[in-house]
Amino acid sequence: MEKRIWAVGGGKGGTGKSFVAANLGLHLASLDRDVVLLDADLGAPNLQTLLGIKPAHPDLGDFLTGTLPTLEAAALPTPFPNLRLVKGSENILFIANINHYRKLRLLRQVRQLETSNVILDLGTGSSYNTLDFFLSANPGLVVTTPEPTSIENTYLFLKSCIMRVLKLYMDHYKIRDLHQKLLDQIEKNSQSLYSFFKNLMETDRSYGTILYRALRTFRPCLVMNKARGEEDARLGRSVADVARKYLLIDIKYLGAVPYDEDVPGSLRALRPYYPDHRNSAAAKAIRQMSEELAYSIEFTLRTPPEIRLPNT
Amino acid sequence: MLKTIGDWNYYELLSVERTASQDEIWEAYQAALATFKDGSLALYGLVSEAERGAVLERVQEAFQTLRDPDKRKEYDLALLRHAPYVPPKAPFRRSAGRLEIEEAPPRRSFWARLKRLFVKNP
Repeated sequence: MEKRIWAVGGGKGGTGKSFVAANLGLHLASLDRDVVLLDADLGAPNLQTLLGIKPAHPDLGDFLTGTLPTLEAAALPTPFPNLRLVKGSENILFIANINHYRKLRLLRQVRQLETSNVILDLGTGSSYNTLDFFLSANPGLVVTTPEPTSIENTYLFLKSCIMRVLKLYMDHYKIRDLHQKLLDQIEKNSQSLYSFFKNLMETDRSYGTILYRALRTFRPCLVMNKARGEEDARLGRSVADVARKYLLIDIKYLGAVPYDEDVPGSLRALRPYYPDHRNSAAAKAIRQMSEELAYSIEFTLRTPPEIRLPNT
Repeated sequence: MLKTIGDWNYYELLSVERTASQDEIWEAYQAALATFKDGSLALYGLVSEAERGAVLERVQEAFQTLRDPDKRKEYDLALLRHAPYVPPKAPFRRSAGRLEIEEAPPRRSFWARLKRLFVKNP
């Protein structure tokens, strides 16, 4: 079965990652696509609240502690047809700090889920766990808002992803000393990635080519959430353009989701937003984005390399 | 493959195809102006003020070249030859809203030029 793993992440909290993930899942499910939503925000899970579902067992924690043999058993049906949910754990202290082995086990199980679409709702920040979940998915959506703090954290998140991709390849090719060199340079200025690659190409062209190609395989999508007008939508395009030019990545701008006053109301009423507001501008924007990604042959052909998800 | 900001050609700078129409170039120019304008949110936390100014200057240079069909043709030919583009030296340049005559050599008369051809040390 062809499986697509979607990840919704971003550097800052409160940008609407869970909102985008939940509504993306609801829309795909309404298209008769089999969807599993996984609350991978290990430190602060609340995807079930956005869907209007009360917390109950089994959840992700039951799988990670070994109570459940497979992740499949934790994917419970929801009131919405074709949509299943793996709830976040209430045992937050344990779950938020899962070790490398458990993380790899979880990633392997995500790949083995019997569904055609898995949507990972990731947490805030740039911890290794979050980055690895984001990098193992395709497409990966970075959600931002038109605020300086959010944009600053978006660049930080993208930089962290780049560093993680390069580190994985450096470890694989046993060129770990380069990693420290890159870390030293990355803080200096916005052109540091360029100077790192330029120096590397001059000293060792083969490794330079490998790492540059690895960097170009990282192709996230950007979503500007809570846009309050055309100017905010254009800001999203500008952020993607700047990231393309300065961070050397092939980032795609998916579009803007307009700010909607009804979103907090839905949340307070413990009702999912999408089914009740199908004709709103925000719902239309999410529909357009999900269809663009779901039917894009680009993402069907592009699978993340195995190195991003080591089995050992 | 790897290019720093100084190496981007005008098309890369404006993020347009080489076959872009005048309308597309105008739109891309407006978008680039919005991105690199003073106090732009899109650069927050990534690009310094000095860098922003330098890029904005190049964006304007790119638009001035690409909007003029003659200059664009010359620039395209220079790109094809992989040669760095040197803007032609104009006899006039616009400065602070008025035309100024650049330092040009004084024009010699016909007889002076003829004399120069035949007399070694006029």
